[in-house]
Amino acid sequence: MVSKRIIRYIIIKVLVYLITLFVAFSIVFFFLRLIPGDPVSRFIRLIEQRYSIQLAQVTQEIINEYKRKFGLEGDIVTQYVSYLKRVFLEFDLGPSFLNFPNPVQDLIAWRLPWSIGLLGAATLISWAIGIIAGTLVGWKRGSKIDSIMFTISLCMSQVPFYLLALFLVMFLAYIFTIFPPRWAFSPTVTPGLNLAFISSVIYHATLPSLSLILISSLGWLISTRAITITILGEDYLLFAQAKGLRKIRILSRYLLRNTLLPQTTGLAMSLGFIVNGFYLVEWIFSYPGVGTLLVQAINALDYNTVQGVILISIFTVLTANLIIDLVYPLIDPRVRGE
Amino acid sequence: MTQQKFFVQRITRLLSSLSKSTLTFKIGFFILLSLVTLAVLEPYINNYLLRGRSSTEIGLFPKLLPPSLEHPLGTDHFGRDIFSLQLTGLRYSLIIGLLAGGIATLIAVVIATASGYLGGKVDGALNAMTNSVLVIPTLPILLAIAAYIRMDLLMMSFTLSIFSWPWPTRVIRAQILSLKERPYIDLAKVSGLNSVEIMFFEILPNLMPFIGVGFANAVIGAMIAETGLRLIGLGPGDIPSLGLLLFWSMGFGAIAQGYYQLVFAPAILLILIFISLNLVNIGLEDMFNPRLKRITGL
Repeated sequence: MVSKRIIRYIIIKVLVYLITLFVAFSIVFFFLRLIPGDPVSRFIRLIEQRYSIQLAQVTQEIINEYKRKFGLEGDIVTQYVSYLKRVFLEFDLGPSFLNFPNPVQDLIAWRLPWSIGLLGAATLISWAIGIIAGTLVGWKRGSKIDSIMFTISLCMSQVPFYLLALFLVMFLAYIFTIFPPRWAFSPTVTPGLNLAFISSVIYHATLPSLSLILISSLGWLISTRAITITILGEDYLLFAQAKGLRKIRILSRYLLRNTLLPQTTGLAMSLGFIVNGFYLVEWIFSYPGVGTLLVQAINALDYNTVQGVILISIFTVLTANLIIDLVYPLIDPRVRGE
Repeated sequence: MTQQKFFVQRITRLLSSLSKSTLTFKIGFFILLSLVTLAVLEPYINNYLLRGRSSTEIGLFPKLLPPSLEHPLGTDHFGRDIFSLQLTGLRYSLIIGLLAGGIATLIAVVIATASGYLGGKVDGALNAMTNSVLVIPTLPILLAIAAYIRMDLLMMSFTLSIFSWPWPTRVIRAQILSLKERPYIDLAKVSGLNSVEIMFFEILPNLMPFIGVGFANAVIGAMIAETGLRLIGLGPGDIPSLGLLLFWSMGFGAIAQGYYQLVFAPAILLILIFISLNLVNIGLEDMFNPRLKRITGL
């Protein structure tokens, strides 16, 4: 009986996921088609600018060929069907303008490891810092350290991190030249699995990730503190204290374990949102990630790449959500009954 | 008639409870009020400082003057007074943020009221829509819109509001659902008020603080998005909000060349806006939603 319920739950979740994905992709398609102007003539102009030549005799033949390449043939319904077929069945996002004729998915695939490495690591670190700090200040609630930390968190948690990134660049890269202001590794090292390259990557990633860690760990601190204070009022904790268990054991076994659970979903959510809000930090540091690619594509009006990055972002976030929904009942017995 | 008296009474009670607010709220409200006052007075201040010229006018003064009594923050690479520019930027940032937040809150109130009021399938559908907009990463989409469509101030605010309504909708809807179950609503029904009157006289006044929380949330969301757009040079180029001032400074290479005030000033103003909005937001929640009450260290 139970297994039937679980299977039904999984099927419903996956169905909802697929429908949302389909609807979101359709919205993006129709939305980008509403944009005035013609991508093909724009692309031809881009080529003219890039090679400073005049393509006086752009024939209808060439235009049609590009239309076919960009999936812009026929009326909107034909285009829509071929778009869905390409995206869902062939995982093909079309050729990029910026880096013609490389397909967009390759362009994104080259950049994605940098984004995931930088922002994923920063998200994980801020999550860990926020949980530990939040548990501690919750444990010591009402003390001086708690009120100081909590006040700072309340003030700063909604400040966008790209503003902080600007200050970090100003102070730590220019006024005091401690860290490099741009790019992901130094030009003197050869990319590969060697110590010089890896340390250079970490050194270059310090500033961008710091801006993210400083702000988002405060958000985690606030939520963890609230959860901790709720748990501190529970009977089993009172019992643990009455038993005279050592503080460190209560902290790790009773408090941290119970704050980790609800915060895991939040972590998965924000890992999914990596592609959404963090592109500006990459852009400020000229980091070779998807965020910088998006800004470049937008400035070059590279229609396919913009669409590709949006689709990848939506796909990542929705998939992260689905994984949470599927995995969470396994790790938290309390929601299993639903 | 008596209903209206009640309504007025409720609003005055609400205002008097604001005066008993937490320190968090007071500090946030004070900072925000100062910033708004500066933004409102901007035309008069700049009129006086620049003798009737516009703060964005190129070549009004010599280029790159160091800070002095005449130019508190010096002048930029186009010969504009940096201090006056900041005031103009602050004005536009606040106008766009409050306008977008206002439109978003209006959308949220309409959807939440329809949702809470009609219930059932309509509520389910609206709720599903709200939740799916919440999980879709909207920032790249917003960037694409701003890149391809020419915008003015109104269009910009409206576009931002399209993406910042889901969160206030959730806050307000939850409150409407809880208010609907209260005994005094039954009492009002029994005493012969029709549903529109109940909505307007009984539920709306009690909803005000939550509309306030939703509004603060929407403004924060809209301003984060707006600043992000402007920072990479998107949006209307003739409306110098603080984000666009940052874009200009970065394009000029202000940090690398050591003209730090060009980046400092707009960034500090923006951070002040975000901090004050957040404090107001938390203060309102503390006052009106004891269940959410955080034990503030203030």
